[in-house]
Amino acid sequence: MTMPLPSPAQTAQPNAPAAPAPPAAPPAPATSATPPARGLLPRLPRLPRRLRLRTVPARIRAWTALTVVAVLALFGVTWTAIDDATEGLRVIGRTDGPQVVATGDLYYALSNMDTQVANILLLGRNQIGGGREEALRRYEESRNEAGRALLQAADLADDAAERRTVRELLNGLSEYERLAAEAMLLSNREYVLGDAPDSAVVRYRAATKLMRLSLLPKAYNLTLESGSNVRRTYEEQHSAVRNGRLAVVVLGVVTLGLLVGLQVYLAHRFRRILNPALLAATVALTVLVGLAMGLLERAAEDMRVAKEKGFNSMLALSRARAISNSMHGDQSRYLLDRQEADTYAQVYLDKAQSVLYTPAGNLNTYYQGLSKAAREYPGKADFLGFFGAEAKIADDKDVRDALAETIKRYDGFQQQDRQLRASGRVEHLMNDVAERFREYDDALVQLTRIHRRTFDAAIADGYAAVNGWNYALPGTIAAVVALIFVGVRPRLVEYR
Amino acid sequence: MRARIALAGLAVLALTAAGCGAGGDESSIVGKESLVIGVKPDQPGLGLKKRDGVYEGFDVDVAKAIVGHLKGAGLLPEDVTVRFMDAPSSDREKLLQSRKVDFIVASYSITPERKTKVAFAGPYYVAHQDILVRQNQTGIRNVRDLAGRRLCAVDGSNSDDRVQKERGIPITPVQSASYSECIEKLKNNEVDAVSTDDLILAGFAAQPDNRNLRVVNARFTDERYGVGIHKTDIEGCEAINKAITTLYQNGTIPKLLNKWFGGTGLNLQDATSVPQFEGCD
Repeated sequence: MTMPLPSPAQTAQPNAPAAPAPPAAPPAPATSATPPARGLLPRLPRLPRRLRLRTVPARIRAWTALTVVAVLALFGVTWTAIDDATEGLRVIGRTDGPQVVATGDLYYALSNMDTQVANILLLGRNQIGGGREEALRRYEESRNEAGRALLQAADLADDAAERRTVRELLNGLSEYERLAAEAMLLSNREYVLGDAPDSAVVRYRAATKLMRLSLLPKAYNLTLESGSNVRRTYEEQHSAVRNGRLAVVVLGVVTLGLLVGLQVYLAHRFRRILNPALLAATVALTVLVGLAMGLLERAAEDMRVAKEKGFNSMLALSRARAISNSMHGDQSRYLLDRQEADTYAQVYLDKAQSVLYTPAGNLNTYYQGLSKAAREYPGKADFLGFFGAEAKIADDKDVRDALAETIKRYDGFQQQDRQLRASGRVEHLMNDVAERFREYDDALVQLTRIHRRTFDAAIADGYAAVNGWNYALPGTIAAVVALIFVGVRPRLVEYR
Repeated sequence: MRARIALAGLAVLALTAAGCGAGGDESSIVGKESLVIGVKPDQPGLGLKKRDGVYEGFDVDVAKAIVGHLKGAGLLPEDVTVRFMDAPSSDREKLLQSRKVDFIVASYSITPERKTKVAFAGPYYVAHQDILVRQNQTGIRNVRDLAGRRLCAVDGSNSDDRVQKERGIPITPVQSASYSECIEKLKNNEVDAVSTDDLILAGFAAQPDNRNLRVVNARFTDERYGVGIHKTDIEGCEAINKAITTLYQNGTIPKLLNKWFGGTGLNLQDATSVPQFEGCD
């Protein structure tokens, strides 16, 4: 290939007497001694020789330099895009995402504390369903869990308002514990099941009001808020990756065009068919751009799946679970505090409707609407609320089946609630209702687990896609640049 | 060479365009130069258009405080212009969907049906259906005490159904065209009680010539008053949530509640802590 050929200066071909400039050559033909452009720009200072690209080596150098710059720019945008993808996967999959889901446990733990205190007051020293000791154990367990989740929340709080919310929660929680401890102490004596002393009920009323009006809303909003931070990061990184992919395509085409142009120019100028080094560089770069596009597409899609099919549902279902738990607590409070029973029935209905909404102004209408919805799903899904949102995005069979099971058991739980309100018996609450609630809760956890698996798989796949690119990309780019020099250098040497 | 320059130019253009797409979202209220906010024109205490065309009320003040907070957080330009306009109950979703208003603060209850059409920031206040009686009427303390009484029933409102049908309390409904008419009937002893959202009742009771009326604090439903916003404007919705959080933390909203509804008998003690938000998506 590097056979000696007549030097460019001697190439006075009949069909190309003035060495026709390549299609994109500068206005001044390189071999012409007097540039015709001079007359048009008489007053411009003379450019240094090299920059005027009058000679073949100058043009080759310029074109080569441009090509190398393009290759390096391509490296830059590809590196940045892959970096964005890795960062997005990290935030959603490893740090903030799972942490946000963990703060969702705060609401659950708090509402479970409140439920257990109500149960302790209902029970007194009566031994049913595990009795006082079991309820106390669960109370302590939830209190520890709340402390852990609050630490997570403090860690995620990234502005003054959020930090203040965490602080208010800490203070409120100790106030709650004080009131709850008093109520529990006052109830530690013999009485008829469900007939707690007024002094204990009054103390509990203050505690649960603090919980319902201050602590639970704050805990809930904190999870929403840190969830919105994850959404923002996701949207930024996801669109950065998509834009990066576009930039890789555009720059890739430009760079390949420059490489091919260089190849054509050299072939034309030096009467060689192929320059193997440049050809190798072109092939390597084509493969690189193709792979990078594929990788970015895959990483962006993995991010989307993890966020929309994993994270969103995990978060929504954990809220549904926490609200359901506090609904179950409202049943205890309904039996415990007859004076406030109407309020607890009302907030019970409101919570039930946020879990699965069907138009109803009172519980009886709700039970009926729910049973109808449970019978019809998955054939028909005309309900709203958390389960309605879940039904809307449930596009694979696994999720639909698990959701159908969850709704069925939720209906079972609500039918028990109907009987509980008719009987008003604490034994009924502690046995049948509690049993049905556990069944429903298990189904909800199973459903959440499917989304967790989708989430984990997507994150793992995304990491697999970007794995190794921090070596492969700079390596390939270095090789391409080296190949360009190897391809161009012998041609320039001919001019020495 | 010219072709190459064109190609490079194209590449730069494409990159710039791609870069821009990442940042700004022109469909959000965040960063808008001018805002149109929907409020009630005819609800004393909440949103009332005065003769000079100026709106006043709790909802109007909450809207202004939200805008003030967004400005302070750099989410709206310092010189943003704000215009209020009527947002009658029946048009609220339409106004938001057609983007005729940027957001709505108009005793707008968050409901699952409405959430299919618009998004809600907040609630900034959890209202309750409550009962308004004459000052000297002591026999009505909760919803059950309405049994056998004359309750004002407004055409097109379901407040009386909530007592009669949903709670099975036998009342004697007295039909009226509006709540203003109900208030007149209450003062003239033509009805025994008026029942609807507590802030609406307190708004009437706070008017100088209605001082002989009082809110009972019966509280038998939750009506979560949200800030309605276009369904796709999640960024704006989250920014308003943040504003509401701060407006509770620094005591602004409790202060505004007291300004508009203090002295009406309405218990405002439970509204000192931020309500549980609906979530923007």
